[in-house]
Amino acid sequence: MRGGKGKRKAGKSSWKHDLLMNKWLYLIAIPIILWFLVFHYAPMFGMVMAFEDFKPQRGIFDSQWVGLKHFVDFFTGPNFLMLLRNTLVISLLGLVIAFPLSIVFALLLNEIKCLKFKKIVQTISYMPYFVSIVIICGLVKEFCSSTGFVTSIMAKLFGIEQVSMLTNPNYFWAINLLSDIWQNLGYSSIIFVAAITSVSSELHEAAAIDGAGRLGRVWHVTIPCIMPTIVTMLILKCGTLLNVGFEKILLLYNPSIYSTADVISTHVQRLGIEQAQYGYSAAVGLFNSVVGTLLLLLSNYFSKRYADTSIL
Amino acid sequence: MIEKASKSRVIFVILNYTFMIVFGLICIIPLWHVLMASVSDPRLLMGSSGLLLKPLGEMTMKGYGMVLRNKDILAGYMNTLIYVLSVSVAGSFLIAIAGYLVSRKNFRLAKPLTLFIMFTMMFNGGVIPTYMVVRGLGLLNTRGAVILPGLMSAYFIVMMKSAFEQLSSSYEESAKLDGANPLVILFKILLPLVKPTIVVIIMFTVIAQWNSWYTASIYLPRRRDLWPLQLFMREMLIQNDTSKIVTSSGEANALVNMTGNLVKYCVTIVGTLPILCAYPFAQKYFVTGITLGGVKE
Repeated sequence: MRGGKGKRKAGKSSWKHDLLMNKWLYLIAIPIILWFLVFHYAPMFGMVMAFEDFKPQRGIFDSQWVGLKHFVDFFTGPNFLMLLRNTLVISLLGLVIAFPLSIVFALLLNEIKCLKFKKIVQTISYMPYFVSIVIICGLVKEFCSSTGFVTSIMAKLFGIEQVSMLTNPNYFWAINLLSDIWQNLGYSSIIFVAAITSVSSELHEAAAIDGAGRLGRVWHVTIPCIMPTIVTMLILKCGTLLNVGFEKILLLYNPSIYSTADVISTHVQRLGIEQAQYGYSAAVGLFNSVVGTLLLLLSNYFSKRYADTSIL
Repeated sequence: MIEKASKSRVIFVILNYTFMIVFGLICIIPLWHVLMASVSDPRLLMGSSGLLLKPLGEMTMKGYGMVLRNKDILAGYMNTLIYVLSVSVAGSFLIAIAGYLVSRKNFRLAKPLTLFIMFTMMFNGGVIPTYMVVRGLGLLNTRGAVILPGLMSAYFIVMMKSAFEQLSSSYEESAKLDGANPLVILFKILLPLVKPTIVVIIMFTVIAQWNSWYTASIYLPRRRDLWPLQLFMREMLIQNDTSKIVTSSGEANALVNMTGNLVKYCVTIVGTLPILCAYPFAQKYFVTGITLGGVKE
C-alpha cells in the first residue's frame, strides 16, 4: 500500500514538474484542445440527442428522452433497406471498379518510357480533381439533359428515350460511377505511381535474369512491392464505405430518382437540416458513424492479421 | 537492360500510348467545351447539342461582361477569398503548433494529446450534432460558421508531427543551451525547417476551401451576402436559376433564357480558372503531400 501511494505521489509530482518545465507548451496547447473539444468532442456528446425528442429551444439536457425510438423508426421504416442498398452499391462499385482501375492506370503510366509524355498525361489527368464538385455536377447535368451530348449518343447507340438521364433511376449508379472515375482516376493513381517508382530496379533485374517476362515482373515484383500501399488505401476506403460521395449525390439527385440515389447521408441531410427532425436524423447519423468506425477497425484488424500492414 | 522488342511488346506500347492520349482528351474535352461555349453566340447555343470544339458563330465576350458586372458574383469572389485566406492562414498556424506539441519527447501531454486528436479521425459526431454546436455558439449565418469548424484536421496534424520528428534534435538542443524560450525555438528555428510540409498543407486547404460549398449551404441559409462563389454557381448550374444575374443586367424577358445559358458557361470558367492556373505549379507539392501521408516505409 505504501508503495502504491508513493508511486502515485511520484506520478503527481512529475506532472507538476512537467507543468513547470513546459509551461509554454501547456499554454499553446490550450487553444488546440479547446478547438477539438468544441468542434469534435461536443458534437460527439451531442449525439445524445439521437435518444431524445430533441428541440433546439430546450437543448440537450431538457429535451424529452425517447430511448431507442428513432433507431426503431429508422430500421423498421419503409426506406431503410433501400437506403442501405443504395449506400452499399454506390460505394462498393467504387471499391470494386474505380479503385483497381487507379492501380492499373498507375501500372500503365509506369510503362510509358517517354518522360515528357508521361508528365503531360499525369498533369492532365489530375486536372478534373481540382474542378469543384458543383461544376462537375453542373457538367454532368448538362451532358445528361434531354438535349445533352451523352443522352444523344446513348439515344443513337442504344435507342434510349431523349429525356434527361438524371430522371431515370436505372442510370444513376452508372452516371455516378463514371463521373467519379473521370474526376478521380488520375489523382487517386498518384500514390501508386509514387510507390511503383520506389520499387528497386535490382529486383526487376534479378527477375529478368530468372527469365521473367514483362508481365511476369509486374505480377511477381511490382505488385508485391506496392502491396502495403494498396492495403493501406484499401483500409482507408473501407472506413469511409458509408460516407459515399454524398455532396455529389446531393447536387445530382432529385425526387424522381430517390429509389436509387438516396443514400443514408443524404437522408440525414434532408430530414435533419431541411425538415428539422433533429433527433431522428442524429440517430441515423450515429448509426452511420458507428458502422463506419467498426468497418475501419475490422479491415485494419484483417489486414494486420493477413497482410501484415495496418494504419492504426 | 536492353531487350529485343517483341511483336506483342510493340502492340502493347502502341495501345498504351493510344489509351493515354484518349484518356487525356476525355479529361480535357468537357472543360474545353465549356470554354468554347462561353464565347459562343447565345442564339446558336440554345439549339445546339454536342460538344463544341470551337466557338459557335461569332466569338463574343458578352457573357463575361455580364458575369463580371454582376454584384453576386463579385461578392461571391470576395467572400471566397476571405474564407480561403482566413482558413489557410489561421488553420496552418494552429496545425503547425499542434504538430509541434504532439512531437515533443519531453512533454508529458504529448501522448495523451496525440490520442485525443487521433480519435477524431476514427469517430465523429456527424452532421446534425455539429450543426447544433455551431448553432448553439450563435455562429449560424455568420462568417465564423464557415471558417471556425474547418480550421484543423487530425490528418494534417499527423503529417506535421512526422515532419517535426524527422528534424534532428541538435537544432533545438543548441538553442536550449542558449536559454531560448520554446516558443522562440519553434518560430525562429523549427518552423522554417518544416516549411515544405506547411506549404503542402496550405495548398490542400486553399483548394478545398475554394471548392467548398456544403458547409456554407447549411450554415448560411439566410445570408446571401456572405455566400462563397460556389453557392452562386450552384444556384445557376444546379438549381438552374440564372434569372437573378441576367435580369439584373436589364435584358428583355425573351432574352433571359438564352443569355442565362451563356452566363452559366462563363461562370464556370470564371470560377475554375484561378485553381486551374495555379495547379500545374502546385503539382510537385501535392505529390509530396500525398506520398507523405500514404506510402509506408
